[in-house]
Amino acid sequence: MDPATLRVLIEATVKIALLFGLNLTVVAYMTLVERRVSAWIQDRRGPNRVGPFGLLQPLADGIKFIFKEAILPPHAHTALYLLAPVIIFVPAMVTLSVVPFGPPVELFGLSIPLQIADVDGGLLVILGLSSLGVYGVALAGWSSNNKYSLMGGLRSSAQLISYEMAMGFAVVGVLMTAGSLRLDDVVRSQMTHGWNVLWQFPGFVVFLTAAFAETNRLPFDLPEAESELVAGYHTEYSGMRFSMFYMAEYANMITASALAATLYLGGYHVPGLARLGLSPNLAALVQVAAFGFKVAVFLFLYVWVRWTLPRFRYDQLMNLGWKVLLPVALGHLMWVAFIVLAGWA
Amino acid sequence: MHLLTGLVIVVMAVALLRAIVPAQPTLTMLGGSIAALVLLVAYRHDLLGTEFWAGAIGFVAILSALLVVLHPNPMVSVLFLILNLLCVALFYIMLQAHLMAVLQVIVYAGAIMVLFVFVIMLLNLRAEEGLRLGSGAERWLAMGLGGVFAALLFWALRHRGGQAWAGPGRYIEGFGTARDMGALLFGEYLFVTEAASVLLIAAMVGAVLLAKRRLE
Repeated sequence: MDPATLRVLIEATVKIALLFGLNLTVVAYMTLVERRVSAWIQDRRGPNRVGPFGLLQPLADGIKFIFKEAILPPHAHTALYLLAPVIIFVPAMVTLSVVPFGPPVELFGLSIPLQIADVDGGLLVILGLSSLGVYGVALAGWSSNNKYSLMGGLRSSAQLISYEMAMGFAVVGVLMTAGSLRLDDVVRSQMTHGWNVLWQFPGFVVFLTAAFAETNRLPFDLPEAESELVAGYHTEYSGMRFSMFYMAEYANMITASALAATLYLGGYHVPGLARLGLSPNLAALVQVAAFGFKVAVFLFLYVWVRWTLPRFRYDQLMNLGWKVLLPVALGHLMWVAFIVLAGWA
Repeated sequence: MHLLTGLVIVVMAVALLRAIVPAQPTLTMLGGSIAALVLLVAYRHDLLGTEFWAGAIGFVAILSALLVVLHPNPMVSVLFLILNLLCVALFYIMLQAHLMAVLQVIVYAGAIMVLFVFVIMLLNLRAEEGLRLGSGAERWLAMGLGGVFAALLFWALRHRGGQAWAGPGRYIEGFGTARDMGALLFGEYLFVTEAASVLLIAAMVGAVLLAKRRLE
């Protein structure tokens, strides 16, 4: 194998390992954040017994999940029942690979981009992979051979198709101003034109709402509405298989937050950083930290909304998706087209 | 090329066997495993080469396509169809048509197949298990038409036109990226694109009209 190929392989492997570890760690601690913040919102204390401030709670949860009995319902379609958690977990873990975390850094005399894959259709890759995740939910619902599960699976496939449309139209606005599907180009265009959230506020709101629906989070968590469907599509799952659904939900939240930060809040861009005259690597570090902060803001918003708003009714969900979000996104697209034609962006 | 031809022959043989002997899909699996083994042995010195990957992906594509038809459970069939579409997307990537690959995943594997899954779940098609074969005449007709299709496929492979493939990792000017594809769709083929979109809307309005019991 020639040295150039070897270098690419090593670089990619290291980056993948780092991102995978980081992703899983954030997922684990998001479960703790969720419980602590919900406790704070409801004026309780939340889990604070395991380790200082309850920081070892995710570890305890993990051990508990592993030692729980993994039940295989006798009436389930075995192969698909076992496959469903994998189908939902893999895309959730993979999608973050096209998001740029910062500008290229200089290490060992090499320029290393802080992004695993800079592919031509970066944004579309995320949309495509996340649209594959719906099969996990649908199959889990169908293969469990349980009426509640089936209802959950049905709801989720209808819901995801409805909100994908609005999300797609909102994203097209960003692509029109950036003139590219590469996420790094989207970030760079925002450095020169200002953050998209200023120019495209309606698109931002539509995107954020659709992202909540796409990740099955409250107020759109109808596929697992416990008041009517027990636990929806994952009623029959236990142990680590259940925990894979749980981890996939949080991983999807992280991806959606990273995407929202990249598309609308300038990604790793920090206004006025160039004037400070920092060394390139230090500046890159600051920018990665800024990106992390922006993602954290969206993650907090996810938790905040979950413990503030009640769940929608199913007909309200469909009306919101097709009769409000889609027309708003289309109107917004006209506005962006006008901006681009007028040469303001 | 000889590799793909060999694959097609192996798979056709399995399919023929399957058509004559109505057995469980395990037979297809067995034939597939043997073909996979042959492939691995034949290319043991060049496991990272393009031709090996083309053969391997093509093999999975053909096997999954067969299982779409042969598997008795409709839900599993749909999953194999998704696998098949993903294989085609991989082929697009190997041919440097990245945008086509992503669109294939989003539109076909991601959106249209969800509707298939949705309908199967809605109708709860479990009772369909157990393959229903047509009458003798139907089977012979199907096999004859399949043979004609295979012959056409061979002919197309032998006399394929167009330019030769530039090789892996090489960008062909004006081909494959979102920009190039957009320029084609909204430049040279603008009329065709718009005509297709009008056709789709007409089909959708027609479907809504047919689905409505009573017009108001």
